[in-house]
Amino acid sequence: MDFSFVAETFQNMEQTSSRISLTNHLVSLLKKTPTNIIKKIIYLIQGKLYPAYEGIELGLAEKLTIRSIADSIGISINEVDKVYSKLGDLGDTVAEISTRRYQQTLFTEKITVDRVYNTFEKIAKTSGSGSQTTKLRLVTSLLNDATPIESKYIIKFLLGNLRLGIADYTMMDALSITFTGDKLKRDVIEDRYNICSDLGTIAELLAQRGIEGLDEIKITPLKPIRPMLATRISGPEEILERTNNLVAAEFKLDGERVQIHKDRSKVELYSRSLEKITENYPDIVEAVNSIKIDKFILEAEIVPVNLHNKILPFQELMHRKRKHNIEENLKKYPIKVYLFDILFLSGRDLTSFEYIKRRRMLEKVVAENNIKIINLIQQRTLSKSSQIKRFFSLAIRSGCEGLMFKQMKSRYRAGSREYLWMKLKKEYDKSLGDSFDLTIIGALLGKGRRTGYYGALLLATYDKETNTFHSTCKVGTGFTDKNLEFLYTELKKYIINKTDPRVVTKMKMDIWFKPVIVLEIIASEITLSPIHTAANNLIKENFGLALRFPKFSRIRFDKNAEDSTSSSELLDLYKIYLKKRVPG
Amino acid sequence: MIFVKTATPEEWKAIASAISTIVDEATFEASVEGISFRGMDPSHVALIDIFWPNSAFQQYECDSLIKFGVRIDEFAKLIKRSEKKDSIEITINQDSMLSIKIENGYKKEYKMRLIESSSSSTPLPKLSFNSKIVLSYSTFDKILSDIQVLSDYITIDTKSDNVHFLGRGDSGDADIALDSKSEGLEELICKEDSLATYSIDYLLKITKAISTVGGSVIAEYSSKMPLRLEFTVAGVGRIHFYLAPRIQD
Repeated sequence: MDFSFVAETFQNMEQTSSRISLTNHLVSLLKKTPTNIIKKIIYLIQGKLYPAYEGIELGLAEKLTIRSIADSIGISINEVDKVYSKLGDLGDTVAEISTRRYQQTLFTEKITVDRVYNTFEKIAKTSGSGSQTTKLRLVTSLLNDATPIESKYIIKFLLGNLRLGIADYTMMDALSITFTGDKLKRDVIEDRYNICSDLGTIAELLAQRGIEGLDEIKITPLKPIRPMLATRISGPEEILERTNNLVAAEFKLDGERVQIHKDRSKVELYSRSLEKITENYPDIVEAVNSIKIDKFILEAEIVPVNLHNKILPFQELMHRKRKHNIEENLKKYPIKVYLFDILFLSGRDLTSFEYIKRRRMLEKVVAENNIKIINLIQQRTLSKSSQIKRFFSLAIRSGCEGLMFKQMKSRYRAGSREYLWMKLKKEYDKSLGDSFDLTIIGALLGKGRRTGYYGALLLATYDKETNTFHSTCKVGTGFTDKNLEFLYTELKKYIINKTDPRVVTKMKMDIWFKPVIVLEIIASEITLSPIHTAANNLIKENFGLALRFPKFSRIRFDKNAEDSTSSSELLDLYKIYLKKRVPG
Repeated sequence: MIFVKTATPEEWKAIASAISTIVDEATFEASVEGISFRGMDPSHVALIDIFWPNSAFQQYECDSLIKFGVRIDEFAKLIKRSEKKDSIEITINQDSMLSIKIENGYKKEYKMRLIESSSSSTPLPKLSFNSKIVLSYSTFDKILSDIQVLSDYITIDTKSDNVHFLGRGDSGDADIALDSKSEGLEELICKEDSLATYSIDYLLKITKAISTVGGSVIAEYSSKMPLRLEFTVAGVGRIHFYLAPRIQD
């Protein structure tokens, strides 16, 4: 397949602001894609070469990219720089410059998808001395034969700037339409996606054998599973009501959720958003390696501790993300791992086992392998409100952020948020408010002290069913200067010139962003609002829900935009708040 | 193994500086018949194709096909440490080193490390030419310089009985006309009127590089098609230089 068709589709996608036409563009691309390259196409659309969890970044250096543009077009680096500083994007720069390419070449070879993908792969794999020259040559060779539009997307991809705004759910819709005729099979696709996290493989199987092909996908170590999530509930009464008065409660630690995969001597750690974080925690890898079981998948929370094993705030884990001084940081910033689930053990998929059975198996694994930094999470089976309250205050005193509640007979439902798992956070009994994870979609420019930064950020909930973001508040308080500065530079990468196709809002902002960055917000009140669109029309015609007095708490690096609080969660909380206000 | 000897360094000098106008790293191929090089600049605008037959050497020993890669600037630097009357011996043994022996009165030997030779081979563009102009080296060089004072590009306009070299810059135009009676124009064959434009920078660089050995220049092209220059250098079989045209609006 010619790459020009892909590049043109990318161009159309970038210009559309409707989600339906975004899906249509995807479908028409996928329909024309031969089976043998569909995997590559899917990864390219995602701006990757492999499934995201492989964590392989191309991220070509800007300087090298500029040099190769200059080389291929036959102009000086200065001339490229001049256009770049005017346009602010190297993809647009190369597209503009190469339309002015009067100089012909001696040979041109059509660019196929295979050629582009294989060249990208070669660039990713080139390392060591002389690698810069090799990379330069590879990029230039592609650009020599590329049309302006092709060059634009080649460069954007190489720099890691290809942001087409195709969420996984949009992709799954498109796959369902392409291979089954309509959207109805998206749930089946999503089920499989939840246990393999690899849309490339899913697309390939669909293309080869249709929806039945997906039966082949099984839970496998070293392929991360989308985590099961918990629903927020109002308090002990609701828990007992929903669990028939018998529930397992676990400490809810405020750390980094991790999936620990082991396949013989290979160990990988995946974050909540399924990124590989193995390199940050060599101590965990070592500990896990000493467990005498061939294959398993465990779930755990990593928490920072001080030298006396006392749990420290979540933020301390940031020290482990540094790429340098890993050895030194190991000693300086110790951690502990608290296991809370087991999903795979010695060739057996345990996700269909009842919770309590999994817990017993997990206890056995821990008991038979005494490993220093790996512990079992505190857990109790409770049946009374007073027991819940007591265990809850024990959890808070022990430095937890609350409790998790799990239905005794629940299966592990990858990627779902239901009432099988529930959470109660420490804010529930105070009037301090609840925390919400919301995605930044827009901003107002700062004035006065905040000139040069953003004054307020527009935040949104995320609704999976429609794959849309809905505005629910503007936040301008709780930021330190450092936060403001950081957000300003970080958000720059995601500026777009109109609202993202997936964003639904009535607000007028100075700047719009692609929905990428998630903030944790504390707010204690939810009100009806004529201007915000979260849970729009669900309570009252033309009214949505807004958070009142929102305050910034932290940036959630570990969450994707699609992990944001949903409008229906907001609606549930709104109802809880209403109840609380009723006297008596 | 390769062992080749020439009576003067001039051919090596010309070849090395010609190649260095388009690439940093050059892969030569030595066979029983002689030494050849073919390479393109990174933007695929210019191509050099050289064949230097064994008969042109004083001594030539090469028993099999051998590819060797050099950083062309380093190679040129060493070759230039010789004078016109010096004889040059180049040897490559198994040890991935290239030895240059320069002799005139006393012996001087350089050894330079070879680099990995490129595995891909450059094809030649398939072209047919409607116009052929043969100029003396000095005339060609002068025309280029005359145009370059006000233009970055040179347009060659060939008709059956004359040829115009045209330039256009911000400050004005240049027009150099030659016909069969003009001094320096050795031959003019025009099967079909031809008009094409080329970057003067590439042409000047390659022409200057060949200057020390320059004889005649054969320029062949067709309208809006690549140009091929053939430099007839005594002692070297063929130096071909291909240049893609510029298409103006």
